[in-house]
Amino acid sequence: MRRFVISLVAAIVVVLAVGGAVVAGSGGGSSITRARLERSLPTTFSNLYADQAVLLGHPGVTPASLHATAMCDKGGAVEPDVGAGSNWNCLVSWTDPDNPMPPEGYGKFELQVHSNGCWTAGGPSKLVGFATLTDTKGREVTNPVSEFDGCFDPHGDSSPTGVEFPSLLGVTTTALRPDRDGRVSVQATCGTGSDGCRGTITATAGSTDLGTVPIDVDEEQTGTFSFDTPVPTAAAEVTFTVRLTRGVGPSKPVTLEMPA
Amino acid sequence: MTASTLASPRPSNTCARKEAGLGSAILWETRKLRAQLRSRALLVGTLLAPVAVVLVVGAQSRPPKDSLFGRFSTENGFAMSLLVLGFASQWILPLVTAIVAGDAFASEDQHGTWKTVLTRSVSRSRLFWAKVLVSVVFGLVALVVLAAATIGASLLIVGRQPLTGLSGQLIEPGAALGLVAASWATMAPPLIAFTCLALLFSVWSRNAAVGIAAPVVIGMVMQLVGSLGGIEAIRPYLLTTPFEAWHGLLAEPRFTGPILDGVLSSAVWSGASLVAAFLVLRHRDITGG
Repeated sequence: MRRFVISLVAAIVVVLAVGGAVVAGSGGGSSITRARLERSLPTTFSNLYADQAVLLGHPGVTPASLHATAMCDKGGAVEPDVGAGSNWNCLVSWTDPDNPMPPEGYGKFELQVHSNGCWTAGGPSKLVGFATLTDTKGREVTNPVSEFDGCFDPHGDSSPTGVEFPSLLGVTTTALRPDRDGRVSVQATCGTGSDGCRGTITATAGSTDLGTVPIDVDEEQTGTFSFDTPVPTAAAEVTFTVRLTRGVGPSKPVTLEMPA
Repeated sequence: MTASTLASPRPSNTCARKEAGLGSAILWETRKLRAQLRSRALLVGTLLAPVAVVLVVGAQSRPPKDSLFGRFSTENGFAMSLLVLGFASQWILPLVTAIVAGDAFASEDQHGTWKTVLTRSVSRSRLFWAKVLVSVVFGLVALVVLAAATIGASLLIVGRQPLTGLSGQLIEPGAALGLVAASWATMAPPLIAFTCLALLFSVWSRNAAVGIAAPVVIGMVMQLVGSLGGIEAIRPYLLTTPFEAWHGLLAEPRFTGPILDGVLSSAVWSGASLVAAFLVLRHRDITGG
């Protein structure tokens, strides 16, 4: 028995050593790549979106008519876009006259990608609807594109698809908290996209210009922008206007109330 | 095993004439297996357990969405049989085959029958190959029974609706049945490899418990290692990866690369296990006990 245990331990050590060598030799090479995901997700999505159109009674929607494209990213700018994980985001753009895209031109899907090449995607409810929908016969049925699974070939084409979408910058502050001198700051998050968000943000309180601050935030990061000019005590609200040279900002200026 | 004590006087007569061939060794091993309560219970279990699983999962108000095909499983029989396939491949298949293969050699140690079988009736290599063949065939029979019971129960209980594939494409029931059956068939190579691994542990450890548990534990560890991020490069070498090769059959366009890789890696694992088992058995001193 003792000899058996020794052999077993030796075998495990050999297996671990070989495994380690394989991993080190290949640089941890994973078959889960951005390009494979960018090819797999739009294919599956188009087929299921056409199914949804049948359920909703929208005529003329076929997988080919959607021209769906996707740009995928794992964990923002700080992480390489390779490997399994639940922090994959894909921006998907498609053409449906009944359901136009928002100004940024895409919807964001959150993906959980497994090491075997299969994934589960959750669609943006604003564009694809909620988990169930009412079909043309009035029945509550599962929405095929709210959440769906797919798998891609681990040996499939992995050359870049070249699909790029700009990041969407959103102001995340909901309530202003002026400091002792009446100065305010806002937070803004730059979403998934190709090159982050660059530009300026201008704050005005009534007729007072509080200043203009440059924006330079990488994708999937948050920046804080402080304005040096104090808000006049009479001002009830502050308006923030975003102008971006890279990425897409809010289409309308954001107005936040000053605390009483 | 108990079967060896039930031996009729006839085999000893034939043995006196000449050494038994591979055919009679296989017949004898099959007879021992058929006499075992464990192997018969296993086959009945593989026949009945899927029916119970399909009934229970089919009655859920919320389908098990975290597994592949789980989200359609309560309303589509094909999806149900693929959900059960995904579940079975995680550890049920290694366990089913190891229950017989892990015991094949160790039982001779347990009952102290090596001297009896090897000195009188049959050569070591013939006995080895007979046990290997019988164990492999038993594993395949169990797989076929499990697959047939699962597909049959799923289609009868849940129904034959068009299946949504892994690229969102709709698969008509006729084609879906073929793909589901083919998916179950792709379990055969890794199942054979797990059988050979169980045989190796059975020879090596001389202990049926190790022979049965070790392949199952190895399967679970490989499953875990294969699902970890960052070390995906090791996946092609794991014996659990071929269990997931069927995904390509349900995609559009279909891809079969992982199935071919799976056959290759299963063959290497099987071959290595059998060679190691054979060498251990050939160099063993059976006179000591």
